[in-house]
Amino acid sequence: MPHQEKSAWLALAAMLAAYVPFFAYAAVSPPGPPPYLRVLAALAAVSVLRLLILGVGHLVFRAQSPQDARAPADERDRAIARRAASIAYYLLMAAALGIGCFMPFYTGGWDIVRATLLAVVAVEIARCVLIVVDYRRGWHG
Amino acid sequence: MAEGPISNQIRTLRFLNGEMSQAELGQRIGVTRQTIAAIEAGKYSPSLEAAFRIAQVFGKPLDEVFQWRG
Repeated sequence: MPHQEKSAWLALAAMLAAYVPFFAYAAVSPPGPPPYLRVLAALAAVSVLRLLILGVGHLVFRAQSPQDARAPADERDRAIARRAASIAYYLLMAAALGIGCFMPFYTGGWDIVRATLLAVVAVEIARCVLIVVDYRRGWHG
Repeated sequence: MAEGPISNQIRTLRFLNGEMSQAELGQRIGVTRQTIAAIEAGKYSPSLEAAFRIAQVFGKPLDEVFQWRG
């Protein structure tokens, strides 16, 4: 498996492990008064957890196959990453328009904050999934 | 697997060149071993530059290495 694909799997696992519990918590617990410090502290904690998972994962990859880990991304890696990023960009645009242009008319501050965080995480997950799918299925430019 | 419109003879040419490894071919044209494996398996269509480099390694014209399935 290419190192970049392993990295995408790792990023996906780290995002899911960190943010699924966070959004479950954010969905069921009241945010408290602004500036929502309790929820923001939880967000900071899961973000640190995500970074830890990424760090440990990359150390393991480097130990298992140091040559692959050292090799720079080649044209296939870059093509797959570019395609995933360009699709993710449009997803993020759609989410930003939905949140920024419609939600203020129907709901208040905390819901918008939560939707924004969810959109960012969901788009990043989508980007990782697109990368993994392109490596698995094949990519022909 | 999404099979591309381009087939190739890289596996055969590697065999005819002293069972050259995918890693060695990849190193000579500047891509990873996994990308050579993907090209051989028809899972990735290389750039024109990479295709010319591969043909050059084997000393063959491009159309003896890659064929357009159409």
